[in-house]
Amino acid sequence: MMRATVVGSYPRIGDVPAEQKLRRAIARRDRGELSEEDVRAAERDVIRDVIAEQEDAGVHIVTDGQIAWHDSLSHVAQGLEGIEIGGLVRYFDTNTYYRQPIVRTAVAWRAPILVEEWRYAQSVATRPVKAVLPGPVTLAGLALDVHYREKRTLVAALASALASEVEALARAGARQIQIDEPLLTRHPEDLALAAEAFSTIAGAKGKANLGVFTYFGDVAKIYRDLLKLPADFLGIDLVQGSKTWTRLEKSGAARPLVLGVVDARNTRVEDPAALAARVGELRHSVDLEACSLSPSNGLEFLPRDRAREKLRLLARTAALVGGAA
Amino acid sequence: MTGLPTTSVGSLPKPEELVRARAKASRGDLPAEQLRSLEEKATHDWIAFQEDIGIDILVDGEQYRGDMATYFAENLDGMAVSGLVRSYGNRYYKKPIVVGEIGRRGPISVGWHRFAQSLTEKPVKGMITGPYTMMDWSFDEHYGSREEVAMAFAKILHEEARDLQAAGAKIVQIDEPALSARADELPLVVKAVGAVARGLDVKTILHTCYGNYQEIYSYFNRLPVDQLDLEMSNSGLDLLARFRKDPLKKEIAFGVVDVHSHVIEGQAEVEERIEQALSLFHPQRLYIDPDCGLKTRTVEEAKAKLRVIVDATRAVKAAHGFR
Repeated sequence: MMRATVVGSYPRIGDVPAEQKLRRAIARRDRGELSEEDVRAAERDVIRDVIAEQEDAGVHIVTDGQIAWHDSLSHVAQGLEGIEIGGLVRYFDTNTYYRQPIVRTAVAWRAPILVEEWRYAQSVATRPVKAVLPGPVTLAGLALDVHYREKRTLVAALASALASEVEALARAGARQIQIDEPLLTRHPEDLALAAEAFSTIAGAKGKANLGVFTYFGDVAKIYRDLLKLPADFLGIDLVQGSKTWTRLEKSGAARPLVLGVVDARNTRVEDPAALAARVGELRHSVDLEACSLSPSNGLEFLPRDRAREKLRLLARTAALVGGAA
Repeated sequence: MTGLPTTSVGSLPKPEELVRARAKASRGDLPAEQLRSLEEKATHDWIAFQEDIGIDILVDGEQYRGDMATYFAENLDGMAVSGLVRSYGNRYYKKPIVVGEIGRRGPISVGWHRFAQSLTEKPVKGMITGPYTMMDWSFDEHYGSREEVAMAFAKILHEEARDLQAAGAKIVQIDEPALSARADELPLVVKAVGAVARGLDVKTILHTCYGNYQEIYSYFNRLPVDQLDLEMSNSGLDLLARFRKDPLKKEIAFGVVDVHSHVIEGQAEVEERIEQALSLFHPQRLYIDPDCGLKTRTVEEAKAKLRVIVDATRAVKAAHGFR
């Protein structure tokens, strides 16, 4: 059967009070009633819950849901030397915002950013926990650069800083590490920059399985070159990026893919049989046994109950594709 | 010469008492009439505050709305409301879900507009969440096409705008914060906003914020409205250079305070922003306001931000001899 995985984020809130403890803890911390340590404890509670939800649904490779992250970029960016965090900017075409990283001085890696969070997540999981980082091209493109003022140099600096983080994660035992490059769906011309950056990062991966994930659009034009990146797996959004399906059918894949087939941007729940049949058609061009299925992007854009339903749908679809073999 | 009218974007924070009452009402522990009377009191207080400090064009403060998209969704046929999703940080909201054909049972915001306008001689803006934003911020379980959803919203929002006009509104603002979501859909934004504004005999405003303006700038002059209301301060006024190169052919409402920061801007800083705007725009076509709705601030912060806008504008007007 095919394996099921997730892309990264997961709703940190639900509609019942038990699923709102982190929101309450942060609000109480802001009022001075709780300490930072109390908020960390609430985060760990929620991370344990969301890992359990993924495992219960039948997901094989899980994440910590990025529960402690303020947004998709600033959580990692703020841990790097040379970066300050600025005003709010809309994150792609989602109705969510990120605090914009501002590159003030030379970028460098200081100390592990995600390692403690990953360790905790793995300690409460029975399945492998994938570590996820924003990629250098996406970070560079969405940051405000007042230092280098030259994208290529900034991407290279970010790549070596992130390579140190990847190395730290691999040393801590992370065997699945994913670099997110959604910006490649909007700026395919940045692929050359990504290729340079990934050779730096791949050199630091140790024993980890290192992948790249693009989402929020298609990568049809650059698909074949994306496959040449020095990565162990390539994740693609086949919902918002439905144009990539055709490319995939034609060109196949020389490396394992994570097929983002479940719509993580809409509450409408797909029919697993129809989805499995569609994926099954790729059998002629892709080694499906080596691939996994996933949502099209992080699940935090959905309400918790639907995210949970999509996880079950995902696992069911993966099982059905396997069954059809 | 007259110039530099002050206004605000739309939402204002709800007083503690109303926040608690809304929570109670949502659990079914407070009768609708009691909630309504608290909403009316809060609206009354905000109108009085705006009048007191001397704002020229008022807003009703949206004390009766939860989220700007969900409010309209709750009052339309064919729509449901989702569970909570995150906006950023520790902020969450409920999203509309299109579950069937979208239809309007009757006027939605018109009663509140009438109520707010009855409290003041000054003009109060009519306020509509735009069709593109309604589409982009809703889950779609029915139509399956973004264009179809946007145009279905445009049809009923046009009816709402006509009703606001019939109720006496002189200004109708269409909020399109999602405007820059997808650059390839800007023609759809123009088409959908055009379908809302078509044939209206009022001043029309389009408000947008927190987007990549540089990428969409070429569309600014094509938007079928009289005025653009833009967030300028959160992004460090970086759009000014673009305006200099490629002049905006519409009136502008220029955001001079950041609505996402607890820090109250100093008057000198706000005056400097207004001066920068004045170097590019004619004072009669330049309106001064916050970047966006102030509802995420506390009541005190929002009041302080509105005060500094009015004080700074007065000082700049005096310096230039504007009335």
